[in-house]
Amino acid sequence: MGRPYAVKGKKKRKLEGGEASRAPPVDAEAVEQEVKENEEVMEGEAAAEEAFAEEVGEGIPIVPRPVDSKRRPGAIFVLERACLEVGKVGKGMQILNSDDHANYLRKQNRNPADYRPDIIHQALLAIFDSPLTKAGRLQAVYVRTEKGVLFEIKPHVRMPRTFKRFCGLMSQLLQKLSITAVGKREKLLNVIKNPVTQYLPVGVRKIGLSYSAEKAVNLFDYVAKSNDDEPLVFVVGAMAHGKVDKEYSDDYIQISGYPLSAACCLNRICSALEQKWNIQ
Amino acid sequence: MAKTKPMAAGAAAAEKKQNKKKGKGGNMKGRNGPAAVAMKARGAGAAAAERSNPFEAIWSRRKFDVLGKKRKGEERRTSRSRSDAIHKRENTLLKEFEQSAKSSVFHDRRIGERDETLPEYDKAILRQQREHMAKLKRASKFNLSDEEDDEDSHTLLGNDDFNEEVPIGDDSDEEGNTLSKKRLSLQSSDLPSETDLPGETHGHKSKKEVMSEIILKSKFYKAQKAKEKEQDEHLVDKLDSDFALLAQTPELLSLTESARVNTHKNNSSTIHKGSSGLTGKEIFNKEKPDAYDKLVKEMVMDQRARPSDRTKTPEELAQEEKERLEKLEKERHKRMLGTAESSDEEDDDSEDGDHHMRADNSKPISGDDLGDSFSFDEPTKRKKGWVDEIYENEGRKIGEGVASGDEGSDDSGEDEDEDEEDAGDEEDSSDDDFRNMPARDWEQSDDDEVALEEDEKDDVKDKEQVIGEKVMKTNAQNLKRVSNAKQKPHGKDEDLPFVIEAPNNLQDLSSLVDGRSETEIAEIISRIRTCNSIRLTPENRKKMQVFYGVLLQYFAVLATQSPVKFKVIETLVKPLVEMSGETPYFAAICARERLIHTRARLCEDIKVPGKSSLPSLKTLLLLRLWSLIFPCSDFRHAVATPMLLLMCEYLMRCPIQSGRDAAVGSFLCSMVLAATKESKKFCPEAISFLQTLLVTSLKGEVSNQINDQFMELKTLKPWLHISEQMHEVNRMNILDLMSMDPDSPFFASDNFKAGVLLSVAECLRGFVIIHEGLCSFPEIFMPVSSLLQQIMEKSELPALLQEIFQDVIDLIKKRSDEHHASREPLQMRKQKPEPIKQLNPKFEENYVKGLDYDPDRERARLKKLKKQVKSEKRGAMSELRKDSYFMAAVKEKERMKHEQERSEKYGKAMAFLQEQESAFKCGQMGKGKKRRR
Repeated sequence: MGRPYAVKGKKKRKLEGGEASRAPPVDAEAVEQEVKENEEVMEGEAAAEEAFAEEVGEGIPIVPRPVDSKRRPGAIFVLERACLEVGKVGKGMQILNSDDHANYLRKQNRNPADYRPDIIHQALLAIFDSPLTKAGRLQAVYVRTEKGVLFEIKPHVRMPRTFKRFCGLMSQLLQKLSITAVGKREKLLNVIKNPVTQYLPVGVRKIGLSYSAEKAVNLFDYVAKSNDDEPLVFVVGAMAHGKVDKEYSDDYIQISGYPLSAACCLNRICSALEQKWNIQ
Repeated sequence: MAKTKPMAAGAAAAEKKQNKKKGKGGNMKGRNGPAAVAMKARGAGAAAAERSNPFEAIWSRRKFDVLGKKRKGEERRTSRSRSDAIHKRENTLLKEFEQSAKSSVFHDRRIGERDETLPEYDKAILRQQREHMAKLKRASKFNLSDEEDDEDSHTLLGNDDFNEEVPIGDDSDEEGNTLSKKRLSLQSSDLPSETDLPGETHGHKSKKEVMSEIILKSKFYKAQKAKEKEQDEHLVDKLDSDFALLAQTPELLSLTESARVNTHKNNSSTIHKGSSGLTGKEIFNKEKPDAYDKLVKEMVMDQRARPSDRTKTPEELAQEEKERLEKLEKERHKRMLGTAESSDEEDDDSEDGDHHMRADNSKPISGDDLGDSFSFDEPTKRKKGWVDEIYENEGRKIGEGVASGDEGSDDSGEDEDEDEEDAGDEEDSSDDDFRNMPARDWEQSDDDEVALEEDEKDDVKDKEQVIGEKVMKTNAQNLKRVSNAKQKPHGKDEDLPFVIEAPNNLQDLSSLVDGRSETEIAEIISRIRTCNSIRLTPENRKKMQVFYGVLLQYFAVLATQSPVKFKVIETLVKPLVEMSGETPYFAAICARERLIHTRARLCEDIKVPGKSSLPSLKTLLLLRLWSLIFPCSDFRHAVATPMLLLMCEYLMRCPIQSGRDAAVGSFLCSMVLAATKESKKFCPEAISFLQTLLVTSLKGEVSNQINDQFMELKTLKPWLHISEQMHEVNRMNILDLMSMDPDSPFFASDNFKAGVLLSVAECLRGFVIIHEGLCSFPEIFMPVSSLLQQIMEKSELPALLQEIFQDVIDLIKKRSDEHHASREPLQMRKQKPEPIKQLNPKFEENYVKGLDYDPDRERARLKKLKKQVKSEKRGAMSELRKDSYFMAAVKEKERMKHEQERSEKYGKAMAFLQEQESAFKCGQMGKGKKRRR
């Protein structure tokens, strides 16, 4: 049954050739699109800046913004071992959590303490609410669940603020495998194939964070020392117990003497990056 | 189709491994988990089938393990289902195919033959039953049956081979059932069984005997009941008679007598009487209720006393008064901010309650509202509010000559004090009580005279209670004054007519008033107002308006007369204020007309050089009057606003040509201050005028001091330069000054200059205080402050003046320092960084897989149907394809078989022929030869 899709694809390409203004196809590869979009965003910003300068007119000097190159490195987050599991509770499928489904989980011989989707919710909010993200310096977020499902979240998603809505979103994502934007066909969340390393830029530095790591660093210094030209990948665990495995991370560090929550850890990373890149 | 649907891809991988293991392990061993159990539970036949094909043992793997999901739809063995499908086709398609070539078909339609599950024996029974039923049909009823059949039927129905009763087959139709029943009854009649017998006897009894038995029983019960009743009656009779006997005994009589009150003595006689003829019970019933009972009944019927309204305590009254005043103040604030334009709505909103009416008191003051107040009962209440508001103003405002002048009717001694305040002092916060008091007293005395205004009187009484304590405190002089005021009018009453028509012009009025004392004039006016009250007839409104105009004119004329009768003027103020409240619209029109007129004269006066264009005493008094009548603090007011503008224009345009001008100007400044005190409006004219005055007190370098664009350039002489050291400063009385000649030597005296400077300083302080919130405060007042400093250095001021100057300087410095501290430097304009545009993900709260979340229902339905059609079509296609594969395979098989047969045959034939040929060739010797070989 491969044919109809192939035909469709060709058609699209044709159309694209005809209309330059058309948005890039949704099915394009994730990373490529990522880069493109980032560029677009940056271009948009530049355009807006110019427009603003014109609008203000002469007489009132504007504080000159730091001139930054077209390609600014960003941050990529990988959240490992997120407790997102769909279960059939009653009639509907729901993300299992220890509060609402404690009895259900006990009946199924599971430990309710392991089902903590609120951790990943908080972690995602910490990332997506940071000025880092607002400034467009977040490149991508990848989440891998305890069950091994990997999905990617675009940096311009507005995450649901309430936990209930977040659960609804996640359960739909895990069933439908992709979530589009409202009023657009663009995919904001998308389930992708493992492993995550194939989506990370080549030769990028992958930093795993764990309380159990032996190398203890001051995050601000550590981040400040890192190379300015290439993005940073942070691998953070979003589980209640246990630790992330360091199979693909180049560096395995500990940023605090205390075991930190995922959200707190991400906040620290974000603020360190903001300081480094001078984002207020 | 590359998209797999891993809900948990990793898990799926793990599962796969496990499944593979399972597959390798085969079905012999190593199967564990629920799947194995399910497999074991299958039928033996299925198990046998599985064993025949090891591939069928492989289960389709589940893609994801979703917690809590039933395994129903998931368990599927593909290879087994394939073999099932083939098997099914063998039964259906293959048979059809086989029969397709045949022209005739054999149908087995024997009973029970269609149902394959029935065993052979049951089939036989069914057949026999059917046969028997056919025989019992109506048509064959009268046919003689063979005996064997009869016997047969008996055995069949009764007991079968296992001695069990066999029920008639369920599949037999309704008709058959009825038939069998009939037959049953027939049989029973032929052969009556033992069980039937008792049932029959019971039936016989039920018909008659049961009925008779019931009747008998009911009769018996009735009789019994009657008997019991009779017995009861007997008993009661006996008791009654016993009691009657007992009642006659003296012991009981004494008991009853003591219980009852002695007044009813005849009762006992009735008892005696009754005891002879009546039973005891009846005696008690007939007995009359005694007094106590009566009383109790009456008390029950009595209405309970209701609590009357509590008299209010003085604290409560004071509280009410306070609340009312607060409400009025709030209203005033609202108007000050310019939000009270919609006073009409408020009018609508206001309810009839007195409180609300009072709250509306100040309404007719505002210019827009003027037309609304033409109702008859409102003015009385409003008037009250008017007076109160004036009191308030008095309490707050500085330097109100005319208002306090009202009191002059009672005490002329106070006059000077008050008038000195006119010149702009404001040290009077402690004097407030004192100043309020006489005003109230004056009102009391006045209200006693006014006979008709009763509600007002009531209010006054309330007030009297409130201020009772204060009254006690006031000095004896005050009290005396009150009594005097009360007595005086009584004494003069004979001279004055009681009913006075409202005069239509000034002559009438002046003829009426001339030669009278102030109290008489007040009395005259009050009588005129009482007689022609607007409340009496609507025509009086017109009259009163005319009278108001005349009165105002009289007021103005009085001010122009050479020896000014201040007392008379002061007498006029109160009725004027009250009447403005009654006819607010007319009052406003009058005031505006006069203002326009005054302004026109000002314009003319200015053109004439050398003439003092500052307002005359008349204008000043009128301005003062209007500032009392109309609320100056309103954001925009029909009279107050132009009035303020006019005063500012005076200050700005009129050159100072004499010492008198300086004094008048400073008085105007104090009036402006009073007018703007509440609303904190900024009048630059007043401040620059004050500044000019201060400059004139410097001797030499006057000319360069002021480069103010607001002021028209004036020739400035050192009007206020104090040359000698002075020790005391007197406050100025504007009225005295006004009566003086502009060239009089008094204006050159240091005493006068010091007084003016004092008033200027006081006024400045007032402006500093009210404008301390302005952002440009330092810019406005710093030059003034430096000027003051200069004056203090250069001229010899009296100690009091120096003190006040220093005060003002300090105040200005303090405030400007505060302002300087709160100021922030100008900042560069910052550009806010633009955040990236975020998109909302589209999702449903309760997502159900497979449901279409299209908002367009029709489209969703169509989509669903299309999907269904597609899947159905695909299913049908695959079925057909499989059918054709199957048929092809069958045909191929057949063909192969055929071919094989043919080739076999061919081979045989060939073999035979070859044999024959060989035999022929070797001349029938072949075999033998062979054998031989």
